[in-house]
Amino acid sequence: MLKIKNLRCCYGNIAVVHTVSLSVRQGELISIIGANGAGKSTLLGAVCGLLKNWSGEIEFKGRALKGMSAPAIVRQGISMVPEGRQIFSPLSVMDNLKMGAYTRFKKDGKHRVAEDLDMVVQMFPILKERSAQLAGTLSGGEQQMLAIGRALMARPALLVLDEPSMGLAPKIVEMIFSTIQDLSHSGVTILLVEQNARAALKISDRGYVLETGKMVLQGSADELLVDDDVKRAYLGKDYGDFLDERNQ
Amino acid sequence: MSEQINMTADMNGNDKAQRQLERLQATLNRACKNVPFHRNRIQEAGLSDITELKDIEKLPFMDRTHLATHYPYGLFAVPLRDIVRIHTAPGSGASPSISGYTKTDLMIWKKMIAGAYAAANVTDRDIILVHLPPGLANWARDYKDGGEALGAGVIPNSPLSVAKTLMVLRDYKVTTLVTTPAFARHLTAHMFDREYHPNELNLKQIILVGEPDDGRTISELRDSLHVDVRLNYGLSEIPGPAVAHECRYHDGLHINDDHILSEIIDPATGRPVPAGEKGELVLTTLSARAFPLIRFRTGDMAKFLPQACPCGAASTRIRWLAEQADNYMLISGIRVSQAQVRENLKSALQLPSISCTIKKSCRSGTDILSISLTMDNDLFSDEIKNLQQLIAYAEETLTEQNGIKVKIRLTQQRV
Repeated sequence: MLKIKNLRCCYGNIAVVHTVSLSVRQGELISIIGANGAGKSTLLGAVCGLLKNWSGEIEFKGRALKGMSAPAIVRQGISMVPEGRQIFSPLSVMDNLKMGAYTRFKKDGKHRVAEDLDMVVQMFPILKERSAQLAGTLSGGEQQMLAIGRALMARPALLVLDEPSMGLAPKIVEMIFSTIQDLSHSGVTILLVEQNARAALKISDRGYVLETGKMVLQGSADELLVDDDVKRAYLGKDYGDFLDERNQ
Repeated sequence: MSEQINMTADMNGNDKAQRQLERLQATLNRACKNVPFHRNRIQEAGLSDITELKDIEKLPFMDRTHLATHYPYGLFAVPLRDIVRIHTAPGSGASPSISGYTKTDLMIWKKMIAGAYAAANVTDRDIILVHLPPGLANWARDYKDGGEALGAGVIPNSPLSVAKTLMVLRDYKVTTLVTTPAFARHLTAHMFDREYHPNELNLKQIILVGEPDDGRTISELRDSLHVDVRLNYGLSEIPGPAVAHECRYHDGLHINDDHILSEIIDPATGRPVPAGEKGELVLTTLSARAFPLIRFRTGDMAKFLPQACPCGAASTRIRWLAEQADNYMLISGIRVSQAQVRENLKSALQLPSISCTIKKSCRSGTDILSISLTMDNDLFSDEIKNLQQLIAYAEETLTEQNGIKVKIRLTQQRV
């Protein structure tokens, strides 16, 4: 469904993503994991049309995305939940959700948008309770649900999530990941970028590991979960004492 | 969570190439980062990026001499603390050959072997007997692990006589036998000598490893035992067995494209041969963490089968040919360098020069290395006992060095 080949992204003259290839097949849940500054969000920026300075190939459903604007990419079926939620704080929860369907009103009509709105509030009942409330007054977890709900309002074929666990309490993170897994089971194809590697890999089919702009590992999620490199770098396991013993 | 054994099996050509490119790029990034040998060679090749699978042709080859030069840990791409298994094989040079595996590597190998079993219709209801010679002890372990991963009952490699092995086959109701062609032939001959009838066995399939089909063993086994016979291809030193396996159509071996990128080259020029022509098989690992191989020359001759397989799997197919690209001999999966054998024999006999011919022969179900040594003045002794002792010592030393039984026969010098 999504095919990235030899992607190279630059900020000015500095390349931050070097010849990266990855692919997402219909129905898959794929994680990209990596430390801060590895190039994960930059890669998503290129996919979603937010970053222009890239070379290589990005194909979605067999169509090249090069040169397309962000709204045009949303119309192709890619919808993004941005890092830090980026909800419209001064607008109500309901208006935020409706904004998610911005590109669809003309094409699909109000009736179908209303159906999807029902689907989203069923998935996140709290959003219905707070539909008239200003989005900026929601808690972090609720804002994340709103951001996901807003992205789903675009009826995406591919849902892209950038660090959905960022700044949330562990219990809320668990709930958000469970929601992502439910979405995947319902047939939505998902590309998930996360620093919380263990939580992401536990619900994923496959994963890719980015390190300073280069892809260094990929494989099925169960393979990556037992990989020592991944454990050390991204799962926060402290090997210090153990290593010293074995090196002696 | 996905538990697929071979992800690329149902992919079209483009999707498979994309997945292999992703894995190749990651493998090269890891190898460059962690192994100075690979980093220097890739830099020397002047290659900044691999952007197509075809770019791999610009990279230099690896062969067994590199393994010996960087013995023991020089080619490991992870810290030693991440290694959970170290495989050692006799090797074809002066040092043993070594390869390491991380937990992830072992998990992948288990899946690959389970996949090869599944392709041979082995299920969790089967009982597998693994019977491999000591030189293939690593494979025996891998076939045991793969069978267990599949949920089958596995009887691991045990040094039993052929009579007792036959009892195990019959009494334990073994359905799948993993062995070498030499032992399968020996077992069959023994069975008929003892007037066992194949119907007394529950055997459904034999998985043959170590050697390509000689044109008769497989069909003879099939006809005499009424079982399905599948061939598996692997490397005894690295990375392991079941790199490729036969499907039910028995028309070539399917390479596990998820984990192995294969090329066939002209052994003389190093250039790729046109599709369908024979050449040396070159392998690159796509998922190995601990011991990546980049364009490793196997020494085995093969040719690609470009037509689609009737089984429907889109994986690359090869015909494994019964010849070698170099002066090595393949004896029950163990590669033996004829030049090295001559050197070892010279030093065991403490002679400056010898004249001998080396060939493979079969004794009691085991392939052995037969050396016909020409008797000359340097070797001759009027004490026949001394000569016998010297030959026995040389046989013992060479057997130990090669991991395969060696028999030396003295022949008369031609005048």
